[in-house]
Amino acid sequence: MRLLRDLGRRKLRSGLTITGIAIGIMALVVFGSMANKMNTLISGGSTYYKDKLVVTIGSQISGNTQPLSIATVAQINKVDGVAIAVPGVEMLISDSTGMSMGVTPMITGILPGADKGLETFKMDVAQGRYLEITDLGSPVVVMGSDIAAKYHATIGGTVNLRGTDFKVVGILQPTLTAPDQEAIVPITEAQKLYVETLPPLVRSKLEPSEVATSITVYPKAGVLPETLKQRIDASVPGYTVMTGKDFDAELGAIGSVFSAVLFGIALLSLAVGGLSTVNTMAMSVAERTREIGIKRAIGASRWRIRREIVAESAAIGLISGLLGLAIGAALTYLFNDMGRSSGNVLFLLTPQTAFTAIGFSTGLGALAGFVPAFGASRLDPVTALRYE
Amino acid sequence: MAILEGRNLRKTYRLSRRNTVEALKGVEISIESGEMVAIMGPSGSGKSTLMHILGLLHAPDPNHGPAPELYLAGENVATLSDNARTKIRARRMGFVFQDFNLVPTLTALENVLLACDYAGIRGKQAKQAGLDALALVGLAERADHKPAELSGGEQQRVAIARALVNKPEIILADEPTGNLDSDRSAEVLALFRQFNREHGQTIVLVTHDSEVGEACDRVIRMRDGRIRDYGQRTATAATPVMAIPAVAATA
Repeated sequence: MRLLRDLGRRKLRSGLTITGIAIGIMALVVFGSMANKMNTLISGGSTYYKDKLVVTIGSQISGNTQPLSIATVAQINKVDGVAIAVPGVEMLISDSTGMSMGVTPMITGILPGADKGLETFKMDVAQGRYLEITDLGSPVVVMGSDIAAKYHATIGGTVNLRGTDFKVVGILQPTLTAPDQEAIVPITEAQKLYVETLPPLVRSKLEPSEVATSITVYPKAGVLPETLKQRIDASVPGYTVMTGKDFDAELGAIGSVFSAVLFGIALLSLAVGGLSTVNTMAMSVAERTREIGIKRAIGASRWRIRREIVAESAAIGLISGLLGLAIGAALTYLFNDMGRSSGNVLFLLTPQTAFTAIGFSTGLGALAGFVPAFGASRLDPVTALRYE
Repeated sequence: MAILEGRNLRKTYRLSRRNTVEALKGVEISIESGEMVAIMGPSGSGKSTLMHILGLLHAPDPNHGPAPELYLAGENVATLSDNARTKIRARRMGFVFQDFNLVPTLTALENVLLACDYAGIRGKQAKQAGLDALALVGLAERADHKPAELSGGEQQRVAIARALVNKPEIILADEPTGNLDSDRSAEVLALFRQFNREHGQTIVLVTHDSEVGEACDRVIRMRDGRIRDYGQRTATAATPVMAIPAVAATA
């Protein structure tokens, strides 16, 4: 292609410009993938919490909950408008997880079937089966997709969770949100593990089977979660009641921060990439002044000259975009692979992000070509021919 | 019939705010269809400026005197827009310059095809025309060579093929032999003469090589922005094509 031959005339300069833009696009791809992952997580959570309330002592989002008595479940069940309240036990899979972005690996204790079919967030099993009521009292586990990979779980094999061996009976399909990082066990087993995490003074006063960390409340049909929240606050005071709206309000802010960072990076690569492309093309035009003169003399219209330069400039953008996307995709794949073991699957590269990155850099290239292109098209053919 | 006819052609170049050069001071000219004419004169006489106006590369100055007139085959082209002039250059004129002026990244054939492309001829038809034009100048074998791989004479022949490929009515050449030795000059002149004879193409050459002038039908002499001598059609016009290289080679 003629375009590539023209770019190849100054290999170093074209190469440097392309590298510069590619770095910007790479950053765009990496941070875009991070924002995607974040947004998928948040929207997964948002879907999960939409039609229910979660009652805790302390905040479940920050993971900072305190034990509550299973007797509370009965109290909440009596509140008008409650279809059913289901106890659950959640804890970190390991105390050494520390700070992490995204979702922390958790052990979740559930009472199989207790939601009476009201749970709308479906988790599909990739292998094996989901937990059943008969599993209560047995050390069995259903592993989320990411955590299954981390623990090299296989159906029929065992995984060690907080010192106890669990038999793996199921592995879930990826949900791209919290359950990917969950080891789901019968509530009876989770209770035993949970009390071990408490300080001895607290632990001595508790019977494992009396403990829960959260109560999931399903409202009756036609009852607004917000209305139910007020009623629970009134009749069973002293608990934190979270609705889907509360969740959105709290995590929506995180999503906006990511979007802002992404926008900032886009703006930065726009400025840097755009200006360096303008510079490259302006120099190319200056070097080819005579050539533009001859083309004009033998009959190339101004429009033709503009088109050639804008196309070349867009090609710089396109090549940069492809290169940046390739590097960015490789990086996100690598980081995800490395992070899977620690539960930090941070990136989700979607086709939309990929196309946006390519489109953005190509558009940027074309746009940057306009200024030099107009300059070139206004050259007087005779003057340009004499240019040394 | 006159293919090019101009009256009141003036051109003033503004070099800076105070410094202007009156390159053409009101020229009247007529070039017959099928004529091979040389425009000669010392540096600064306005011969290149006249060629640029005749070739529609520049428009004559419209003010400071009687309105300029320029007719191409009877059609007034003095006041056309840049776009319209560009179209005429692409379809009806061919240009050859002193410095060959080929695009360095394109092969000989691609350089020739540029002219077809600008004239709106593309695809197989263009390619055939390009190869034919290269064959006419004796460079069929070199079609895929880049300019850097060709000698000066060969590059100028590629430029001539590019000027010819659309079979234009007029070919304008600005010092076409200026950078060539006498043998190569003779070849180039012989080519021009051949097209002039065989295809009736009108050829206007700007030169200060008197031997090039002698090879033409007529020599127009300029000095200080005016035409001093319109010349007479010489006997050279009747000289057989093959005699031209011999004339130039005696130098």
